[in-house]
Amino acid sequence: MASRSELSAFLESVERRAFKQAVFAVRDEEAALDIVQDAMLRLAEKYGHRPAEELPLLFHRIVQNAIRDWFRRQKVRSLWTTLLSSLSPSRGEDDEQDPLETLQAADGSNTQEAPAEQLERAQVLEIIEQELARLPARQREAFVMRYWEELDVAETARVMGCSEGSVKTHCSRAAHALAAALRARGITL
Amino acid sequence: MNEFQFGDKIRHILNQGLSLDSRKAARLQAARELALARKRPEPVGVLASAGVWAGNMVGDFGGWTGLSLRLLVPIAMLLIGFGAIYTWQQNQRAAEVEEIDAQLLTGDLPIDAYLDRGFQNYLKTRAAEE
Repeated sequence: MASRSELSAFLESVERRAFKQAVFAVRDEEAALDIVQDAMLRLAEKYGHRPAEELPLLFHRIVQNAIRDWFRRQKVRSLWTTLLSSLSPSRGEDDEQDPLETLQAADGSNTQEAPAEQLERAQVLEIIEQELARLPARQREAFVMRYWEELDVAETARVMGCSEGSVKTHCSRAAHALAAALRARGITL
Repeated sequence: MNEFQFGDKIRHILNQGLSLDSRKAARLQAARELALARKRPEPVGVLASAGVWAGNMVGDFGGWTGLSLRLLVPIAMLLIGFGAIYTWQQNQRAAEVEEIDAQLLTGDLPIDAYLDRGFQNYLKTRAAEE
C-alpha cells in the first residue's frame, strides 16, 4: 500500500504535467485545474490503498476518463453556452497568455541566459504546445504517455484501454504529424 | 526521423514549460493536500486483532474461575468471530461494488456485464439511491 508520503511525492511530481495535458485537451485552464483536482481526489479516495507502483497508471487513466467526461458534459452545456454567449463576456480573452509572460524563470533555471535566447525558447515551447493540442486526441494521449510520462507501450495501452499495436500506431502518427507541423512553422528539432 | 529521439527532445522542451503562476500553483497544492487528507486507509485485519486479544485473555487461570473463563472466552471468541465474518462480508460486498464502479470509471468492465439483466437492475438501484 502506498504511504501518505509516497502518494504526496507522486502527486507533486505529476500535477503540473497533468494540468498541461488537460489544457492541451480541453483548451480551458480552469477546467483543466478542476480535472486534475478531481483526479487527485479520486485517486486518493478510491485507490489510496494500492501499491505505489500502480499509482501512475491509475492516475493517468483517471485523468483521461475525466477529460472524456468533461467533453460529454460540454455537449450538454453547449446549447446553453450558445444561447448565453452573446450576453456573457468572452472567457477566452482573459485567459490568453501573452508569450512574454512565459518568460517566468523556473526553479534552477539559468538566469544568465540571454533574453533573446529565452524568448526563442519560450516561443518554441509555445508552438510545440499549440501543435500538440491540435493533434487528434488519441494520438496526443499516446504520444504524451509514451514520451512525456515515459510509460512503456504496455503501460500506455492499459492507460488508454487499447492494444499495444494501437499505441505504436498512434505514437508514430503523432510524432510524424508533430514533426511536420513544427517544420511548417520553421522549427526543426 | 528517429521517433524516440524526437520524443526525447519534445519531453525536454515540455518540461521547461511547467512553471505556473502562483494562483495555479497554489490551487494544485491545495488539491493535493485535500487528496492526501482523504486518502483511503488500509483495511484493518479484524480477525487477526480478535485472535490476538483472545489469546491474551486465556492466561494461566486455574480452578472454577479458570473453568468459567475457559468456557466464556471461547464463546466470546466465537461471537467475535461471527461478528468479524459478518463485517468482512459487508466490506467485501462494498469493495465489489466499489470495484465495479472503478471498472465503470476506467472502462475495464467486460462488455458482457452490460448484457446481464441483474447488472442492469443493479445500475438502476444505484441510480435511485444517489
